Amino acid sequence: MSELSTEAPAQSAKPTIFFDGVSSRRRQVTLTLGDAIEIVEEGGSPVRWAYADIRRADSPAGILRLAATSAPPLARLEIRDAALAADVTVRCMRLDEHQTTRRGVAKIVGWSVAAAVSIVCVVLFGVPLAADRLAPLVPKPIERRIGDASEVQVKTIFGRRTCEDPAGKAAFTKLVNRLRDAAGLDDDAMTAGVLPTSVPNAFALPGGKVFLLQGLLDKAESPDELAGILAHELGHLKHHDNMRGLIYNGGTSFLIGLLFGDVTGSSAVIFASRSVVEASYSREAETAADTFAIEIMHALGRSPKPSAELMFRITGKEGGSGFTILASHPLTEDRLARMTREDRPASGPPLLTDTEWQALKGICGSGKI
Amino acid sequence: MNDMQWAPIGSEPVPPPLPPTRVDFAGDRSVFRKMVTKGAMLELVTFGFYRFWLVTDIRRHLWSNTSIDGDAAEYTGRGKELLIGFLFALAILVPIYLAYFLIGIEFERWQGFASTPLFISFYAFGQFAIFRARRYRLTRTVWRGVRFWMDGSGWAYSFRAMAWGLLVFLTLGLALPWREASLERYKMQHTHYGDLSGDFEGDGWTFFKRGWWLWLLSPIAMVIFPLAPFFYAEFKAREWRWWLDGIRIGGVSLSSELPHDAFYGLYWKVIGWWMLLSIIFAAYLGGATMLVVKLSGLPVEQVFGPDNTAKSIPMLVMMVIGYFAVALAVNIIMRVYLQRDLWAKVLETVEVHNIGAAADVRGSGELASALGEGFADGLDVAGF
Repeated sequence: MSELSTEAPAQSAKPTIFFDGVSSRRRQVTLTLGDAIEIVEEGGSPVRWAYADIRRADSPAGILRLAATSAPPLARLEIRDAALAADVTVRCMRLDEHQTTRRGVAKIVGWSVAAAVSIVCVVLFGVPLAADRLAPLVPKPIERRIGDASEVQVKTIFGRRTCEDPAGKAAFTKLVNRLRDAAGLDDDAMTAGVLPTSVPNAFALPGGKVFLLQGLLDKAESPDELAGILAHELGHLKHHDNMRGLIYNGGTSFLIGLLFGDVTGSSAVIFASRSVVEASYSREAETAADTFAIEIMHALGRSPKPSAELMFRITGKEGGSGFTILASHPLTEDRLARMTREDRPASGPPLLTDTEWQALKGICGSGKI
Repeated sequence: MNDMQWAPIGSEPVPPPLPPTRVDFAGDRSVFRKMVTKGAMLELVTFGFYRFWLVTDIRRHLWSNTSIDGDAAEYTGRGKELLIGFLFALAILVPIYLAYFLIGIEFERWQGFASTPLFISFYAFGQFAIFRARRYRLTRTVWRGVRFWMDGSGWAYSFRAMAWGLLVFLTLGLALPWREASLERYKMQHTHYGDLSGDFEGDGWTFFKRGWWLWLLSPIAMVIFPLAPFFYAEFKAREWRWWLDGIRIGGVSLSSELPHDAFYGLYWKVIGWWMLLSIIFAAYLGGATMLVVKLSGLPVEQVFGPDNTAKSIPMLVMMVIGYFAVALAVNIIMRVYLQRDLWAKVLETVEVHNIGAAADVRGSGELASALGEGFADGLDVAGF
């Protein structure tokens, strides 16, 4: 059937242009549609393109632009005459073979969903597992280095000084040592200090550095209140929560960033999904640290309840505002309820004498900041 | 009719200078809109992975509908190349991020927040990526069967960009025109079309004279907020025109009559859509809250209250859906107005002089890999 219009050079009203892919010269040509397309330029040697080799190239509407797999990759034949274009289109059976089809798109979607599911599974199960297993294996020196780095940062924020009143320091050391022994942490596993700032908080850094902020000390009314909170921080150390958090946060933000195509992890979706995932992880760690604090306080024969009361005095009732799914800590009222259940009458000696307690309260000097 | 004699251009010594030719953009706006709408939806269901194919489709559309001297350009890059480039870039970026993290720790140990300057190294890397991504796009740009290509070094470019960036920072932005001129000169002098070499003849002083008063007035825009889009549009139009006027490739040169107020409409349309979307989103959130409250039969505080993680989930899901819908719409709007419309608006003002100089150019140059685009994507500095 290709014999139909053989020999007769296909005539066209609009010029047919050929670019040979070697030079940018615009060649006006005539086409002969035989058993292959013959591209003839006046005075030039004809070029033959087999129909099966011909593919469609991008073009504006009204122009049929062709390439051929057997020709130089950039050789282009441009047919502007609609009738001739239709004639050629019919003969080239593999014209659109290279275009992305519906199936191609479905394939992209399928693989993307598979990749996403796998990343989500790794975020939900793989990374926590890796963090739990790897955190205890991180060598102490590395952990300490990270701790040193964060200590420098903390001190940049809260001032370079630590509180050094000798009597207060002795009392603080006594309190921390009793907790540490009950927690079963090594002698060299931790250091503790009080920072002179009005922020009421306490935290543990990697490498065993526990910091109590003066604001919390000022609000505390008894050694037990403080002890419970310090015991909670020791729980974080014991569980390597810092390293776990670091590995976990680094891993999650990287993977979620990967999913949304932004390795640095800055855009809103990433931020949102990270907050939800990480908050739930950190809530678990906080609950575990609370459990640990309860055990230690019981071991020392004291009640964990006062520390929760101290927290409650500081934060007030937390529920009722915002989304609880985003909270990094369990709600204070829940913690208070839990510690109240664990309340037991004191069976051990007080952790500090009255004089020691007064000395500790004055560790940063008498003046308020 | 083929005996209608068309002297093949270039077959004899260059004829006397031809009148300037125009650049035509024949893209159908609704085709583009449908393409980006479909693309944005696919991007959503593929968690963004479809972006490689969508960006490719957009470029193919814009390139192939742009005709210079009657012949349309063509973009020969493909989405798969971008995906592979991205994956390779990841494989290189991941160890770098790790190293960044570890070095950062050492710096922090020495002095709090001392690692902040390390971030600058990422900026330098971003500049490198911009250069290499441009090389990829250019080597996929074909006109009359001959491709554009680029040589030059991405790191040399990055060094220039950093040094000029520092100067711009120190002069509070006054050095910006000279920075752009220098960087553009580097890019264009390493740009080639076949055996023709590019150049950039715009100079910083000209650009400075056209825009210095915008620099002076910019503090006002911070106080009177609605003026900012005008200033930005004004700046962009002047920048585009100056840039186009400076471009040379072989003997071919461009010029543009882009009016200074050309982009006012575009930016205000985008802002208008933004406001509309914000209002719809707010209304949607309000409606969703009411619905949740009504369905659960609880007072408002309790729905958002403690012990209610399970009950706040439907609300969260509604919010996420709403967020994605807005993101999708913004995506489409930005692409239609700030890519397609801007492209068309700029092109209709462009004149090409002495196009005859490009009538018989020998093809040369190698294809560049898409690694640069991958870096640009990974570092969030991707352009068109």
